[in-house]
Amino acid sequence: MAQVHLRNVVKKYGAVQVVHGIDLEIQDNEFVVLVGPSGCGKSTTLRMIAGLEAISEGEVSIGDRVVNDLPPRHRNISMVFQNYALYPHMTVRENLGFSLKIAKRPQAEIDKAVDEAAQILSLADYMDRKPGALSGGQRQRVAMGRAIVRHPEVFLFDEPLSNLDAKLRTQMRTEIKKLHQKVKSTIVYVTHDQVEAMTLADRIVIMRDGHIEQVGTPLDVFETPANTFVATFIGSPPMNLLPGTVSGDRLALTDGPVVPLPPQFAGNVAEGQEIILGLRADNLMPVGHTMPMEGAYAEFDMTVNLSEPLGTETLLFGSLAGREVQAKMLSPRPVKDGERLRFQLDLTRCHLFDAKTQQSLR
Amino acid sequence: MSRFRPPAWFVLLLPAIIILAAVVLVPLILSFYSSFTPYKLTRPETLYKWIGTFNYEKAMKSAHFWAAFGRTVLLLTIALNLEMLMGLGLALLVNKVTYGQRALRTIMMFPMMFSPVLVGFQFKFIFNDNVGLVNNALQSLGLTDRAIPWLVDGQLAFIAILTAEMWSATSVFAILILAGLFAVPRDPIEAAKVDGCTPWQSFRHITLPYVMPFIYIALAIRSLDVARAYDIVQIMTNGGPARRTELLWTLIGRTGYVDAKMGYANAMGYISIFLAIIFTVYFFRKLNAARSELGMAG
Amino acid sequence: MNENLQHRIRARLLKVLHFVTLFIAMAIICVPGLWVVLNSFRPTVEIMAKPPVWIPNELNLDNYRAMFGAAGEGGVPVLQYFTNSLIISVTSTAIAILIGMAGGYAFARYRFKGKSGIFIGLMLTRAVPGVSLSLPLFIVMAKTGLIDTHLGLILVYVALNVPFTIWLIDGFFRQVPIDLAEAAEIDGCTRWQAFWRVEFPVARAGVASAGIFAFLTSWNEYALASQLTRSTFSKTMPVGLRDFTSEFTINWGGMTALAVLMIIPALILTFLVQKHLIAGLTFGGVKG
Repeated sequence: MAQVHLRNVVKKYGAVQVVHGIDLEIQDNEFVVLVGPSGCGKSTTLRMIAGLEAISEGEVSIGDRVVNDLPPRHRNISMVFQNYALYPHMTVRENLGFSLKIAKRPQAEIDKAVDEAAQILSLADYMDRKPGALSGGQRQRVAMGRAIVRHPEVFLFDEPLSNLDAKLRTQMRTEIKKLHQKVKSTIVYVTHDQVEAMTLADRIVIMRDGHIEQVGTPLDVFETPANTFVATFIGSPPMNLLPGTVSGDRLALTDGPVVPLPPQFAGNVAEGQEIILGLRADNLMPVGHTMPMEGAYAEFDMTVNLSEPLGTETLLFGSLAGREVQAKMLSPRPVKDGERLRFQLDLTRCHLFDAKTQQSLR
Repeated sequence: MSRFRPPAWFVLLLPAIIILAAVVLVPLILSFYSSFTPYKLTRPETLYKWIGTFNYEKAMKSAHFWAAFGRTVLLLTIALNLEMLMGLGLALLVNKVTYGQRALRTIMMFPMMFSPVLVGFQFKFIFNDNVGLVNNALQSLGLTDRAIPWLVDGQLAFIAILTAEMWSATSVFAILILAGLFAVPRDPIEAAKVDGCTPWQSFRHITLPYVMPFIYIALAIRSLDVARAYDIVQIMTNGGPARRTELLWTLIGRTGYVDAKMGYANAMGYISIFLAIIFTVYFFRKLNAARSELGMAG
Repeated sequence: MNENLQHRIRARLLKVLHFVTLFIAMAIICVPGLWVVLNSFRPTVEIMAKPPVWIPNELNLDNYRAMFGAAGEGGVPVLQYFTNSLIISVTSTAIAILIGMAGGYAFARYRFKGKSGIFIGLMLTRAVPGVSLSLPLFIVMAKTGLIDTHLGLILVYVALNVPFTIWLIDGFFRQVPIDLAEAAEIDGCTRWQAFWRVEFPVARAGVASAGIFAFLTSWNEYALASQLTRSTFSKTMPVGLRDFTSEFTINWGGMTALAVLMIIPALILTFLVQKHLIAGLTFGGVKG
C-alpha cells in the first residue's frame, strides 16, 4: 500500500516560485519517471516527496498518510542520489547496513539483508572496500543496494545514471528495470534523459518550468504528444515542426509545399487557422527508402544538406520552408551533400498543433 | 670543472633553517647545557660548573614544580576540550544560519584579534572583585551582595583564567570547524536523513567524521601556541596569590628572571617544551588518522 | 494530521531555541571586547565607580588626549611604542614571508629525502613555549648586544613566524596545478619567471593570509618581548600596556585607550583577509 499522491504541490524560494501546483497520483508498484529539461522542477518535486525540501503549499501523501511536515525518516522511503552520496568513511558493507543499524535491528537480520542486497547487485566481492576504491558503476550499485536493504514503501531515484559513461548507463538501466521487477515497489525516478524515461517508465511525467506538460505511458506520450514541447522533448531525433495555414482540405506550409490535411485532424481545424505540422524523421523518407505507407501520404522534393550514416539507417538533414528538417533513409545508399531527393511524408502518422496555444489539435 | 651544486629545495629551505637554528636551536642547546649547571644570571662564572642532572632531580622532588605541572596539564586539557566542544557548538549554530551568516562569522573572529596580554588585562578587569563587570553585574542583579574574590581564591581564579583563555581561543576552533562544515558534502547528509537518521544520528555518524580532521587541525594549531596562555595568566594572577594559580610557565619565568636561577629554570623549561611537543605530535597523528579514515590522505 | 502538527511545532521550537542560543553566544563574544572600547571613552573615575555606573554619563576623548599628549597620568610614550610595534611587526613579517615563500615552495614542489621529518622539525620549533625560549634567548642576546634593539626582536619574530608561514604557503602552492608552471616554462619562461609570473599570482591570496597571520603574531606577542625589551626605544605596545600598572593600582582608562589603538590595525587586517585566512588554514591542513 504505497501510492504517492501530490495535490496542488507548490514550491517557493522566497518570492520565486519554482513548482506551480502539481497534481499527480502514483499507484502502488508503479514506476513513474519525472522527465524534463534542467530547472523544470522535477528534482525539487522529488525532494519534496523525500522530505528534503519543505512543501510551500499543497499536500503530499505516501500510503494513506499526509507527510507534509514529517522528516524523511518517518516517510518510509529510500533514495538514490545523483552523486551516489555514499558514506566515504564506511566500507560497502557498513554503507549497506547503515540504515538498519540506525533502526537498531538485530545484527543477524542486518547481515541477512545486506548479503541479499549484495547478491542481487553482485557486490559480494567488494564488501570490505571503501567507496573511494570503487569504480563509478560499483558505487552506483552500492547506492542502489543501500536503498533496497530497507524494503521501503517508495524508492526515489534522483538522476542516478547521469554520472556514468554511456555504456554503463545502458547496462545499469536494464539492472534498474530488473530490480523493479524483483522488489515490486513504487518507484519515482527523475531524469533529464528521455531515453531513460521511455525505457524505464510505466508512466512518464513530462515537466517544464514547474508545470506538468503531460502524463502518460511511454507510447502515449510518443504517439500523441499533448503539445509541441512534449513533441520535441520525447523521441530522437526531435520532431520536426513546420508552421503553416489550413486552406480547405490542404495545409499550406509557410514558404513551402502544400500538402493534404491529415485526415485524422479534419474535423478539428478551421479554415485559415494557423497551425504547426509535427513530423518525425521516421515518417519522412526518400522515395524508395521508406517503410510501406498505408493511407494518406504526400510527396515533395528537398535538398539534403548533410547526412549522418548510422548503419541500418541514415539521418538526412534538409531544409524545408526555411527550416532545418531531419529525415531518415532506410536501407541506405551514400548521399552526397546538396543532393536533391524526392521525399514521402506519412500523413497518418503526423501531428497538428495550434500555432498560438502550441497544444495538440487531436 | 664541476662544482658542487646543492639541490634547489635545499637552497630554498636554507634561510628558514638558518634563522630557526640561530634563534631557536642554538639558544635551546645553550639552555640544555645550562640546565646541567647552577647558572645564575648574577654570577656568570657559574655557567662553567657542571652539576649533572641536579636541576632535574631538584624539579622532580619539588612539590611546587609538580603542583604547577599538574595544574598546567589540567588547564590545557580542560581548556582545549571545552574550547573544542564550544567551538563545535558555535560552528553548528552559525552553520544553520542562512541569512546574515557573513556578519556572524566576522563577529566570531573578534576575540582572535585581541593580544593575549590584552585579554589578560581585560579579564583581570572584568573579574576584579571590587569594580569588575562580573561582580557588578551579579550585585546589580541581586544575586549576591558580597564581592566574590575571583582572582584571589585558588579555584575561582582557575575558573577566571579558564574563562579568559576560552574567550580568546574558542573562536579559532569555531572558525576552523565552520570551514570544515562548509566542506561537508550535502548528499551524504541527505542520504542519512532518508536512511532514517535523527538529526543527532546524522551529526554523529556523518557530519562528525567529516569534521574530525578540521577539529584536529584546530587542536594542532592551538597546541602549537598554548603557551600563549602564559601571557593571560601572567597578567591576571602571575601564578599568585601564594602560587595558587602557578602554571609551569609562570614558575619558569619567575625562577629565571626574578630568582635569576637560569640553570634551574632552563631544566624546567625543557620539561615544558617536551610537554608542548607531546601535545602537538599527538594531535598531528590524530589528524593523519582522521584524514585517512575519509580517504583524504596523500 | 496530528503527527504533522507535532513535527511542525517541534520545528518551530527548535528554530526559536537556535536563535536564542546564537544570540547569547554572540553576546558573550562581543561584550568583553566592547566593554574595553566603551571604557576607553569614559573617565577613570566613572569606570571605577562603586556602585557601578551602567549607563555612561559622559563619553569623551580624554584618555586618548592624555595618551597622545603624553601629558596625562603616567606619561606613557604611546606613540613611541606604536612606532616600535609597527617597525618590528612590518619588517619581521616581510622577512618571514620571503623566507616562508621559499620554504613553502620547496615543500610544495620538490620531493626529497626526509621531507616530512624536516617539516615536522620546523613545526615543532613553533611549539617551544615563549617563556622557555626567552631564558636562553635572553642570555644569547645579552652577549651579542641585540637585547633591547629592534633588530633583536625582529629576528626573534621572523623565527617565530617562519614555520607557520611555511605551512600556510605550502598549502596554497599545492592548490596551484603544477601544469601551470610547466606550461609557462614551455612558453619560454625560466623557472624563476614562471614562479613570479604564474605561480605567485595564483597563490597570492595564501601569501597574503600568511602575512596577516605573521603580522598579528608579532603585533600581539608579549612573552618574549617583555623580556627582550627594556627601554622605550624598543618596547612594543603589548609590553607598554604594563606601563599603566603600578604596584597596587591600574590606570584602566589609559590602558583601554592603548588597547583600542592596538586592536584597530589588527581589526582592519583581519577583516580584509578573513576569507583567505580560513581557506589557508584548512587547505594547508586537510589536503596536506
